[in-house]
Amino acid sequence: MKFALKILKDFPAFLWSGWGAVASILLFIALWDSGNQVYGDLVLPSPLETFKTLHAMLNDANVIAEIKTTLYRASVGFGISLLFGTALGLLAGFFATASMMSRPIVTILVGMPPIAWIVLAMIWFGMGDETVIFTVIVASFPIIFVGALQGTRTLDGDLKEMAKSFGFPWHMKFLDVYFPHIFSYVFPAWVSALGMAWKIVIMAELLATSDGIGASLATARSQLDTPTALAIVTIMIGSLMFIEYIILEPIKREVELWRD
Amino acid sequence: MSNIEEKEQQLRATNHYLYYPDEKNVPPYLAYGFRPIFLLLAPYMIISMVLWGLVWSGVLNIPFMENILVWHVYEMIFGIVTAGTMAFLTTGLPELFPGFVPIIGKKLKNVMILWIAGRVSFWFIDVTGVYLSAILNLAMLGWLIWFAKDAVLDKLQRHASLGYTMLALLIIEAWFFASMAGIAKTPAMDILKVALGASVILILLAMRRVNMEAVNELMEDKGIDDVYVARPPVTNLAIFSVMAFTIVEFLYPNNSALGWLGFAAGAGILGITSDYILKDKVIINQPYVIYLSLIFILLGAGYALMGYAILSGEFENISHFRHLITSGGYGLAYLMVMIIIGWIHTGRHLTSNIYTHLMVGLIVVATLMRSMIPYFEEYSSTLYMLSALIWTIPFMLYIKQFFSFLMAPRADGIKG
Repeated sequence: MKFALKILKDFPAFLWSGWGAVASILLFIALWDSGNQVYGDLVLPSPLETFKTLHAMLNDANVIAEIKTTLYRASVGFGISLLFGTALGLLAGFFATASMMSRPIVTILVGMPPIAWIVLAMIWFGMGDETVIFTVIVASFPIIFVGALQGTRTLDGDLKEMAKSFGFPWHMKFLDVYFPHIFSYVFPAWVSALGMAWKIVIMAELLATSDGIGASLATARSQLDTPTALAIVTIMIGSLMFIEYIILEPIKREVELWRD
Repeated sequence: MSNIEEKEQQLRATNHYLYYPDEKNVPPYLAYGFRPIFLLLAPYMIISMVLWGLVWSGVLNIPFMENILVWHVYEMIFGIVTAGTMAFLTTGLPELFPGFVPIIGKKLKNVMILWIAGRVSFWFIDVTGVYLSAILNLAMLGWLIWFAKDAVLDKLQRHASLGYTMLALLIIEAWFFASMAGIAKTPAMDILKVALGASVILILLAMRRVNMEAVNELMEDKGIDDVYVARPPVTNLAIFSVMAFTIVEFLYPNNSALGWLGFAAGAGILGITSDYILKDKVIINQPYVIYLSLIFILLGAGYALMGYAILSGEFENISHFRHLITSGGYGLAYLMVMIIIGWIHTGRHLTSNIYTHLMVGLIVVATLMRSMIPYFEEYSSTLYMLSALIWTIPFMLYIKQFFSFLMAPRADGIKG
């Protein structure tokens, strides 16, 4: 509770500190605009036109439906990874043998390019939700798993000892000793896994489905509709930045304070 | 307990008074660089603003100047920039570089006479000619750069950026006079826009130093145990985007990329205010922090609104919005330097009272009236006139509050 209040209290200051970031994004947009003036509308539509297209798209019920489809796939895939990745990772971290065994498997999972997974998933599940969700899971699961594993592996033995000798009740042991430490590892892993999930969902949709934002992007490409393509890219980047920087980053900052 | 430590407890900004020239019989108003400047600048702001207000609303005709708008902008930028910079440098350099001997007495008087001559030659330019005015005004800025040369040549280059910006301003001013004399082909107004960009950069550089001194002095006074640091990268990002805006505006005015650069410059300048949010203590409720933030808010809003005007194709509004930068940020920066130096360097603690509140508030009100004219076209002539009048009131209040300080020796008995 106190933790949540502190995040809320620091939130306006956190938001206000973002002006520098806004300035550099705007400088980048200015560069984009000059690119438009050099290469023309077909190659690179102007930022203003893109934002106008974006505005029109966001008022279009069909587009909203596509966004919802994508959101559904991404959240189901990410949710499953989050649940199993965290649980299995934490568990594996408690046992040296399990963590030793799981390392190479995780390396294989991380090392396999997502595009290869998509091909396999298309063969296994056909063209549809399952393919996309599966790809999201295999791409984001290892990240969370490793984060959680690190969290329990690195628990401070002295602190455990101390909690034991003071005779802490189990809930205090968990909430005040283990949780802050583990969470400071797990949470950043969630954040990077979410970013991965969001990128993978679009890619999988582009190749394997006929609906969702990724599929709209494929349509825009085939019709040479660059403003729409750029508007979709803007939606993707905008939503990811919103979730990562506005919602998760303030929490992450507070969480990581524990590590020092 | 040594003597220096005792002084430390009174006011932080007194170290530099250890090096003071031993000229005899120096009147108080010539005892330090800022004194004669503020004594002249406050009345000059009032008189010239009233005159310009009368000119713009059509009450007064100035038959001896052909190109009124250009000269108005010139005088508001260069006439005042030299005075403001001089006050800042003659007061600040001895503080930034211990051992730097301040300029006082006769020498100071001569420099002030040069500045006055520059103003007189300006108002009578149709009688005396462009060349005399050019020589006098360039000489004034040139002397300032000469005075500040040690800051530029400093091995550590800590404050060299100020010197380079002033050098750029000198070149721009010479370019302007060349254009007015018919030697250079560039339209004078375009050159003045470049000059405005350069002086905004000068203000940002100067305000970073003023901020550090004023805010930390204030926190020490109030016993707030925290450190305020005006981070250079934040200011540099703002300067970079202002520079980009200025250069692109000169080369491609009204280009859509310029609109985005306007927004970028606005955001970059607003970013400077994020330094006021300290780790542990809250200082954004302190009057001086609010005053100083308003400078950046006005400057930032000016650039952002100019960007908006360009992107929405309402090019005629750009010059109205530019007044958020000139009458607003620029004017307030001068006023704040006058107020802060007026307290601290006359040996007093930084104090806020009804006068300082009013001074800052009225500048903001006048600026909003001037820059929002596009939205209240039907009252435009009233707004031109009223905003000019209201803008002068803070300087009248300044005379009331500070002139007795400027005319008297330091309150804490230290020389200077």
